[in-house]
Amino acid sequence: MSAYPMSPEALRKRKRTVFVLTALAVAIVLTFIVSMNTGLIRLSPADLLRTLSGGGTERQNLILFDFRLSRIVISVLIGMGLAISGAVLQALSRNALADSGIIGINSGAGLVILLFVAFYPTATAAPAYLLPLLAWIGGGFAALLVFTMSYRRHKGLSPNRLLLNGVAVNAGISAVTIVLSLRINPEQYQFVLTWMAGSIWGSNWSLVAALLPFILVLIPFVFYKARTINVLGLGIELATGLGARVSREQIVLLAAAVGLASSCVAVSGNIGFVGLIAPHLARRLVGQRYQALLPAAALAGALLVLAADTFARWLLQPTEIPTGIVVAVIGAPYFLYLLFRTKK
Amino acid sequence: MFATKRKSITILLGLMLMSLWLAACGNNNNKAEPSTSGSTASQPASASASASAPATERKLTDGLGHEVTIPANPQRIIASYLEDYLVALGVKPVAQWTVANGIQDYLQGTLKGIPTIPYDLPFEAVMSFQPDLLIIGPNSTVEGGKYEQYAKIAPTFVLGDDTVNDWRKALLKIGEVLNKSDEAQKVLDAYEQKAADAKAKIQAALPNQSVAAIWLVQNSFFVVSDKQSSGDVLYNDLGFKVPAVVKEISAKGTGNWNPISLEKLADLDADHLILINSDKGTGSAALNDPIWKTIKAVKNGHVYEYPSSSSWLYYGPVASSQMIDNVLNDIVKK
Repeated sequence: MSAYPMSPEALRKRKRTVFVLTALAVAIVLTFIVSMNTGLIRLSPADLLRTLSGGGTERQNLILFDFRLSRIVISVLIGMGLAISGAVLQALSRNALADSGIIGINSGAGLVILLFVAFYPTATAAPAYLLPLLAWIGGGFAALLVFTMSYRRHKGLSPNRLLLNGVAVNAGISAVTIVLSLRINPEQYQFVLTWMAGSIWGSNWSLVAALLPFILVLIPFVFYKARTINVLGLGIELATGLGARVSREQIVLLAAAVGLASSCVAVSGNIGFVGLIAPHLARRLVGQRYQALLPAAALAGALLVLAADTFARWLLQPTEIPTGIVVAVIGAPYFLYLLFRTKK
Repeated sequence: MFATKRKSITILLGLMLMSLWLAACGNNNNKAEPSTSGSTASQPASASASASAPATERKLTDGLGHEVTIPANPQRIIASYLEDYLVALGVKPVAQWTVANGIQDYLQGTLKGIPTIPYDLPFEAVMSFQPDLLIIGPNSTVEGGKYEQYAKIAPTFVLGDDTVNDWRKALLKIGEVLNKSDEAQKVLDAYEQKAADAKAKIQAALPNQSVAAIWLVQNSFFVVSDKQSSGDVLYNDLGFKVPAVVKEISAKGTGNWNPISLEKLADLDADHLILINSDKGTGSAALNDPIWKTIKAVKNGHVYEYPSSSSWLYYGPVASSQMIDNVLNDIVKK
């Protein structure tokens, strides 16, 4: 793009994008610092600096590196992953209300976790990577179901069908989940409930390691496809006219979005609304071009989850509220606001 | 142009909110870390009894197969939701279980004044008590890599689902972990003796009578399983007969307490009904239902009501022993 001389208008837009991205990055860094300082046990800024530079006591190291930093890193990764997944799903369905929670990926993942908890013989503790893997299977299965229901030969993926089938599949899975949850014992139910509410508190570095490959591969891939997403956003006919291999691109991008959403949900539980709000915020800040929208959405998502998690840890100390609930408290009114605006 | 201006205002507002919130956090997040020296005064002395035998570090394998090094003389124990056993063994934990401000009221005679810790044991909350031994009940508490995190705070012994669901096993296991196996056996023997005596009294006063324990919470009824929790005490230890309805529901259900509809309750032919009423504060409307009044034990006036703070919803040596006291005082004496 930069090969062409820029019009003043384009130059202004680029400046603006750079400004927004910088502002978001600064806000993330600030929240990051606050988050490191937030917790039941007091670490003064001086302690923090000393610990970060390697001079902390064993206890301070444990608090900062094992408990807080792993959680902060997970929050940032999840925020990015869910936001990008939401942005892609919104582009594919050409509907601003799509996100992984709404089309059933999150609840599909939740159902598999529930099945596992209910039927797995609990003689030994499940290894840390097992839950993410299971959630991925569940999310992928739900997406496959929605996808096959929305796919028409010669016509490709129908955006409206994608969303409507997604909502239907989501409702179906939720119903099965409720029926099943009546059959398991209270401790198991408690575990599933906490997981579904979206809690990052149990995070550790092995979960970071489980999540990182997905983020590192899929987010750059989606960025690379930004121009294709722009074209797909114009609608199937127009995109075909412009020479895009619509069906193939749709499938590949959908798979990427599912991969991102399921791996995030697998680690964090069902944190909704991030995939909805972050792309919206990004759109309002930097406009429709996905080359700018995607990075802005990723940063906005990271900021949202990180801030929500910090807030969740701080609000009712020593009890921690599930992060998903804090995000939902922010997200639900925004969602209603969007619905209201679309109606007008 | 207008749109741009509005957008800048949005960003500005966002940043302002952010900084405001940052400032708010800075003021009141942190709770002072308890210094070790300051808390020794209030620190419950738990192991003074075992001072006679020189204790050493021991290695034990927990319910999930971890090899755990138990300190010679653990002083600061957290065993959330296992406090019943600690009380029975005369050990005071540094923190006790709570959920949404609810605590185990029936143990407060001994645990009064001990600070609470949220039921899901957040890492930093655990750490703030500087425990030297963590005892954990069900597997699900440490799932998802949490065991490794807890183990970094203090030696962590998980009883495991099989042990925690049988209080006799759990008592002996905790006794072993705390190097109090003899005390645990004594507690168990005393309980069995007490149960046997009570059973004899019951057989003399109320031969071949049946009983059911019903829990009323938020207008729903639950009935205790015939093999678990207070059902284990009533039917196995005290020898009451199991009503057919209870048998039927226990066979189908999976929990300690299984839901039962009011219609099904009407078929309950138990001679005596133990009612644990969690709806006392909200009027217990379900008890005014005409169907409730047709139940045999209700008609005959053989309902014994206990508050939700009593020991009936819990289990463990102390809880079970209190249940026997309740039965002897309220049902047998009548």
